[in-house]
Amino acid sequence: MHMVPYSYAWREMRRRKHRTIINIIGYVIIVATLVAIVTTARGWEATTAQPLKQIGTDLIFLYSAPVVPSGSGCYIVNHLFSFPFEQSKVHDIESFEGVERAVPILMHRMGAIVLVGIDPSETETNAVLPENVLDGRFLASEDKNVALVDLEYAQLNNLTLGSTVGYMKGRFEVVGLVDVDAGNILKSHIYVNLPVGQRTIPDNNTGLVNVALLSVNDPREIEEISNALTEQFTGSTVIAAKDLAAKTSNALAIGEETAWNISIALAVVTVLFTVRSQIAAVSERKREIGIFKAIGWSRSNVVSQIFIESAFQGIIGGLVGCVIGVGFAWFFLSGISGGTFVDPVILVIGFAAAVASGMLAGAYPAWKAAKLSPTEALRAI
Amino acid sequence: MQKNNIIKIENLSRIYRLRSGEQVKAVDNIDLEVPEGQFLTIVGSSGSGKTTLLNLLGGLDKPTAGKVTVDGTDLSGLKEADAVKFRREKVGFVFQAFNLIQTLTALENVEAALAPTNISQAERLERSMSLLESVGLKQRIHHLPVELSAGEQQRVAIARAFANQPKILLLDEPTGNLDTATGRDIMEICHKNSKSNGQTVVAVTHAEFVRDFTDRLIYMRDGKLRQIS
Repeated sequence: MHMVPYSYAWREMRRRKHRTIINIIGYVIIVATLVAIVTTARGWEATTAQPLKQIGTDLIFLYSAPVVPSGSGCYIVNHLFSFPFEQSKVHDIESFEGVERAVPILMHRMGAIVLVGIDPSETETNAVLPENVLDGRFLASEDKNVALVDLEYAQLNNLTLGSTVGYMKGRFEVVGLVDVDAGNILKSHIYVNLPVGQRTIPDNNTGLVNVALLSVNDPREIEEISNALTEQFTGSTVIAAKDLAAKTSNALAIGEETAWNISIALAVVTVLFTVRSQIAAVSERKREIGIFKAIGWSRSNVVSQIFIESAFQGIIGGLVGCVIGVGFAWFFLSGISGGTFVDPVILVIGFAAAVASGMLAGAYPAWKAAKLSPTEALRAI
Repeated sequence: MQKNNIIKIENLSRIYRLRSGEQVKAVDNIDLEVPEGQFLTIVGSSGSGKTTLLNLLGGLDKPTAGKVTVDGTDLSGLKEADAVKFRREKVGFVFQAFNLIQTLTALENVEAALAPTNISQAERLERSMSLLESVGLKQRIHHLPVELSAGEQQRVAIARAFANQPKILLLDEPTGNLDTATGRDIMEICHKNSKSNGQTVVAVTHAEFVRDFTDRLIYMRDGKLRQIS
């Protein structure tokens, strides 16, 4: 390891403080933008997907326009009308390519109370899952007039195990207290078996549901499957986690692809700017380059020297950018989630991008420096 | 005993073509032989071609015509990589304007000449410190050029020139920016070190006192060697 090129690079950077700082700021902007936006985008998606993930759901399928003339206009809490459709259609949805599971749900709202009819045999994707039971037991397929009650609702209404809870014409024994963090769109209070629910609400709802909860085989294909389902089932609405997020918060929502595009555009601008800056630095140091050549430095030694300086700037910019990017991501996500998960891969990519940009920016100036004739360079003032 | 000629110049010319199309003969068809270990001084007025001749001898420039052979290496058609190797291994330069790297300390300036070699870090440091000590700068090794006097800066440049133990030392107006007393000191250091190492020295200068150190004096005028003594 030859120390002279490194100490020389470091001191040259300090000698040209303003230029160095401006170059480093460019790299900081690239990395901070990449880390902040990508982390925010991912954190956003993870945060908003979490409630649905907790009930094994990737997509919510419903009809926001009437499908069959009969049946009640059921109502989902998040101000979305959902109209009944044949339960058998859920099987059609389940057979759709990419869909792993489709589970029928009947939701009905009366005042502020939401009743949900579920198929208790579905224990991986459902409006409530066995692991949500805090006290008592989960529903069984043969259950008739029994219900699971949301813990908060139970506490507000002094309901305990064995109490009776009423909904319209139905009376149900509370057999379990549950806590489901399913987000506003699926927030419910009373859970009963699906046929019981169909009989409890007004009109004839036998064989009808108004929601299907879907899980998919590959989460990366959510958008594709969502579009295909909407196209296949005319009048249907398919809601993914990110759609849910957009409806439930005003916070920044940006796709990861957009984040990458912004960062790449910034990187190109920064590299061009830094190339210009480094060319100016090389011009100012023509004489020194001549001295190095006179004392036996080869072209590759000179190129390495310029590269080292550019890489130093990239390294510093990359490190500072990572810290600032994480800080911004934390700031953006602090309002919508409990924590910020920073993918180390993004930090590594951001850091590597800064170093690579630095070296790229140094390539042309280094080549120009290497080409200088020693006698011409030594004559420079 | 007759010593071998370490430098052999035959019909050497270096012509610069200006943008106006005009041609300037900086070195005009000269012949010269320098025996190994000789301290040769070339004097002449400004623009006489002295520095161009040194640059040709040091492999910094290429002749337009003729042949320069230094220590068996024909510099006339040398490729860039070979010229670099030649400069690194065979010659040491001392310039009028010292030409130190302003952001490096005295020690690092000397070490810079060794940086592209395969010499270990420890040996580089040891050799650089020893050279600076030999030019009387033991206490100034960590000083930047700006913190050194003109004479001290030139001593650093001399230490750097000796770093790779070159066979030939090329001094381009080494005392030009110094007062007479300091210039004499500098010439003494160059003379003493080169003689003790058996190195050949080619110096170009205006300074009269250089005559006291030289084995041979040549006058250069209009690119030609006019008088040889």
